[in-house]
Amino acid sequence: MKKKNIAPYFYILPGLLMVLCFVYIPIIVNCVYSFFRLSSYSSSMKFVGFSNFKRLFTNDVFPIMIRNNIYYCVISLIVQVGFGTILALLLESKLVGKAGGFYRNVYFIPSLISLTAVGLMFSFIYSPQIGLLNTFLKNVGLVNLQQSWLGDKKLAIFCIIAMSQWQFTGYITLLMVVAFQNVPQDYLEAAVIDGAGPIRRAISICLPLAKEQLLVCSIITVIGAFKLFTEVYSTTSGGPGNNSQVLGLFLYQNAFLHDDMGMAAATGVLIFAITVTASIIQLRVTRSGQE
Amino acid sequence: MKKNLKKAICVGMACMMAASLVACSGNTSSSSGSAAPTTAAVQQGSEAVVPAPASGEKKVIKLFHRFPDDPCNSFIEKKVAEYEAAHPDITIEISSAQNQPYKEKIKVVVGSDECPDIFFSWGGEFSERFIRENLIMDLTSYMTGEWADSLLQTQMVEYTTADGMIYGVPFRLDAKLFFYNKDIFEDQGLKVPTTWDEFIDACEALKSAGITPIAEGNQDQWPGCHYVGTLNQLLVADDVRAKDYNPKTGEFTDPGYAQALEYYQQLVAYMNPGVNGQTHDMARLGFTQGQTGLLYAELVEITNIKQENADLNWGMFNFPLIEGAGNPGLLTGSPEGFVVSAKTRYPDECVEFLKWFLGPEAGAEQAEEVGWFNASKGVDKNLTDESLKEAYSVMVSAEEMGPWFDSSLYSTVCDAYLTAISDVTNGDVTPADAMTKIQRIAKEAQTLVE
Repeated sequence: MKKKNIAPYFYILPGLLMVLCFVYIPIIVNCVYSFFRLSSYSSSMKFVGFSNFKRLFTNDVFPIMIRNNIYYCVISLIVQVGFGTILALLLESKLVGKAGGFYRNVYFIPSLISLTAVGLMFSFIYSPQIGLLNTFLKNVGLVNLQQSWLGDKKLAIFCIIAMSQWQFTGYITLLMVVAFQNVPQDYLEAAVIDGAGPIRRAISICLPLAKEQLLVCSIITVIGAFKLFTEVYSTTSGGPGNNSQVLGLFLYQNAFLHDDMGMAAATGVLIFAITVTASIIQLRVTRSGQE
Repeated sequence: MKKNLKKAICVGMACMMAASLVACSGNTSSSSGSAAPTTAAVQQGSEAVVPAPASGEKKVIKLFHRFPDDPCNSFIEKKVAEYEAAHPDITIEISSAQNQPYKEKIKVVVGSDECPDIFFSWGGEFSERFIRENLIMDLTSYMTGEWADSLLQTQMVEYTTADGMIYGVPFRLDAKLFFYNKDIFEDQGLKVPTTWDEFIDACEALKSAGITPIAEGNQDQWPGCHYVGTLNQLLVADDVRAKDYNPKTGEFTDPGYAQALEYYQQLVAYMNPGVNGQTHDMARLGFTQGQTGLLYAELVEITNIKQENADLNWGMFNFPLIEGAGNPGLLTGSPEGFVVSAKTRYPDECVEFLKWFLGPEAGAEQAEEVGWFNASKGVDKNLTDESLKEAYSVMVSAEEMGPWFDSSLYSTVCDAYLTAISDVTNGDVTPADAMTKIQRIAKEAQTLVE
């Protein structure tokens, strides 16, 4: 009988240890902390059961946070994934031709800029007195469209979402372009012979074959929507009032400003639960499509 | 040959990866395992691990402050270098962070083993939460005789607990006053207002003349709370306020608090548009460029005003008087200074350094170079700038300081109050509703605080 080869297990051991140390164990420890009350400098932890979760769900800001995260999720899916895919189709089509590579790079560059730098830049652009946006509106004659953007209760979160779309649409476009480039040319040629126009080809051939990539893009967009932190932190810090508050920022503020690590851990557990559920649902939905 | 080279590269890479694994594990000492920002903050905030000086040669003292901008940063580095030259057995490692990140970093670093020996801390509740965890050293026994006499007692009070424990020494004094554009006031024929009604009349006159009366930017939420804190001092009795600011007994049911928010609303009507959409610093530009008539600012901003427009003809006056249950003798402002960690290995050396760094000689230099005063007496002796001398006389003649509102409040109450003020600024909530919410949070806080 052939002896079982144990060498492969040794090869994966370091990777497994790292994943355990930096991913799984922290998740479990975080769940444990969510049942205690402690701060970053306290010497002891006090067991409080489900009190942190109760306070989280009954917090006045909770509906606002969930609403903001969902806005981000839905708008990102439509703009980043939806519009990004259409852009990718255009870039791969004959319309754009040789210039496709150039446009691809131009659209991709914003996603290379650090999130904090973009946040600071847009803080300036949105500034009501001296910012670029209001100045531009004034010069074009649309003075009555001027707002205080990041200082406006209703507009703040949408301004932040808009900033994010600008930054990451190009990234999704690039991923989808790669997927579309892998579509075999034979299918497309066969479709042309059959008389299919460009739109028909895109919908019936390119999209289905790029389904896996589309799924990956939507999963990372949804997960990113619920982990949202840096964009809000570097612009409004949840303001004005608490109207642009999101789960990620709430977690951070509770951990380091309100001295409430337990609440932060509870928020972390919630974010984890939401993202895992969303990912599982997405995977199930597409798998059932394949069957 | 080629095969051997390949093998060698593979083995080399495997060793490198194994080494990086070991290197990483050394730093995760007290990390709590929650979100990534925690470990990132600890990595950034911690200095290189200090090896225990076996032979007792070099004593390393870690100093953490919140003034990374010049001229203050260079001033601190210069003084530290001077001290190190005079004391060859002591090395001082400096690190710093901006205001908002400092508030977050310090809480992580103080709880860890890499707590700085000397660090900046606001007086009041901000430091007292650390004192409750026994993280700050008691300086009362050191504060005797000559040292105690050389410091302004009205300022030292802010770094003393109700039980009489002295826990810090001020680095810069501060007070908040209304700065006004003398040229604009002269053109409009306005006098310096002393009462609230006179003040509102002046604002009204400026507004009718097409000049924005008050410059303000509340994006960071603390500027708004300075107004409300001062108004609270004028409208609520001192002992009631003391009871409410203490998280164990805080209720905020006194009608004076809602009144304060109503007065604040009156002020908002005269501020530039988009108050919540810009920062205080950006709004200050509007004042220094001569576009607004008034700015409620701190004395330490005098340096910034001079930098932004050296030709501006400005003056100062105290917050207008309102007849109420409160204490008009309080000057809103608070010294900011340094405390010593309870875990430091060199308590005497740290205290010696602070005595010198925050003493009269260094203070006089600081007043000249940075425009800030420490709590030692007579630091204006070398000053020639009239505006700074006026600022110093305001500080010295103050009977009692009224500390910054946000550093006096418990964390959850502070958050609720700042949010409420932000909403009131936008007109989204009425003062009465805001106070109802604050009262609820204050009641909750009574059970949360240890």
